[in-house]
Amino acid sequence: MNLLLLYLLLLKATATSFSGLTSMPVVRHDMVEKHHVLTDRQLNAAVAAGRTAPGPNGLYIVSVGYFIAGTPGAIVGALAVMTPAFLIIPMMRYLGARANRPAVKSAIQAVMLAAAGLVIAAAVPLARDALVDPLSVMIALGSFLFLVVTKKDTIWVILGSAALGLAGRLIG
Amino acid sequence: MAALQSELVATRRWLDEEQYGLIYGLARITPGTNLLAFCAAAGWLIAGWAGSVLGVLAVTLPSAIVVVLLTAGYQAWSGNALALAAIGGTLAAAIGMMATSSWQLLLPAFRRGQILRALVIFTASLVLSLRVHMAPIELLGLAALAGLIWKAPAEQ
Repeated sequence: MNLLLLYLLLLKATATSFSGLTSMPVVRHDMVEKHHVLTDRQLNAAVAAGRTAPGPNGLYIVSVGYFIAGTPGAIVGALAVMTPAFLIIPMMRYLGARANRPAVKSAIQAVMLAAAGLVIAAAVPLARDALVDPLSVMIALGSFLFLVVTKKDTIWVILGSAALGLAGRLIG
Repeated sequence: MAALQSELVATRRWLDEEQYGLIYGLARITPGTNLLAFCAAAGWLIAGWAGSVLGVLAVTLPSAIVVVLLTAGYQAWSGNALALAAIGGTLAAAIGMMATSSWQLLLPAFRRGQILRALVIFTASLVLSLRVHMAPIELLGLAALAGLIWKAPAEQ
């Protein structure tokens, strides 16, 4: 896949999302299902890498770019993450106070709710690949509960799950 | 965001409260990553285009480098049995993180008491994606239309 097409496809995903992982269904649709340049396992690993690093959500796109085209792909991924941010400058000028209009807020809220469903739909095939035994199912459930209940940083989930995976291998 | 408010508004006084409120609100409806949109706007207000670009780069680049290193590490170690077991654990945890992300998108609507609306749109999205195989872009467009027609109770 050439870098311009990679940038445009990743930009399509980031420019049609409103927070971290809501771009994932579009990425999976284009990269895994349509162009076959990424596997579900790589996408899953990209999500894990993106959530492990400090900083803004959504940087898993950089990892996706790296998997597909190495360092140039990662740069393209970073550009695709950064580009939509600059839309706020014309928005400040032209939208301003209109941003709080009920119709605009209602439409965006509905998009966020639909994105919640899309994230689960995109996670289903990834789960088939990643949840292969009782331990991995327990890790997935445990990480969900831990993050929802404690609001602690994701890094603890990553470290804990890696330790559990390792312990499972050494014991079993 | 709280740290940025403290630094930019209270400590350095580069932005006033009104400017902060405007760009905070607009960042939430700007496509992409909210934090990056906020930094693009804050940088632009403080130092024009150069400030905007620098603001976005400053937030993105260090984390992007860490992401690349982690991904390269994954590729390098995925042949090792022990590393593979640890990676398997993190991949399982990533599924839990995706569920958390979905939950966090639903939670504000639940808190506003819009449980029925949230569940209907969430379920419709899930079914249209998994059963009808509707493309995500089309589905999000349909959701925006649904949001315009079926307004949240507080906004009617």
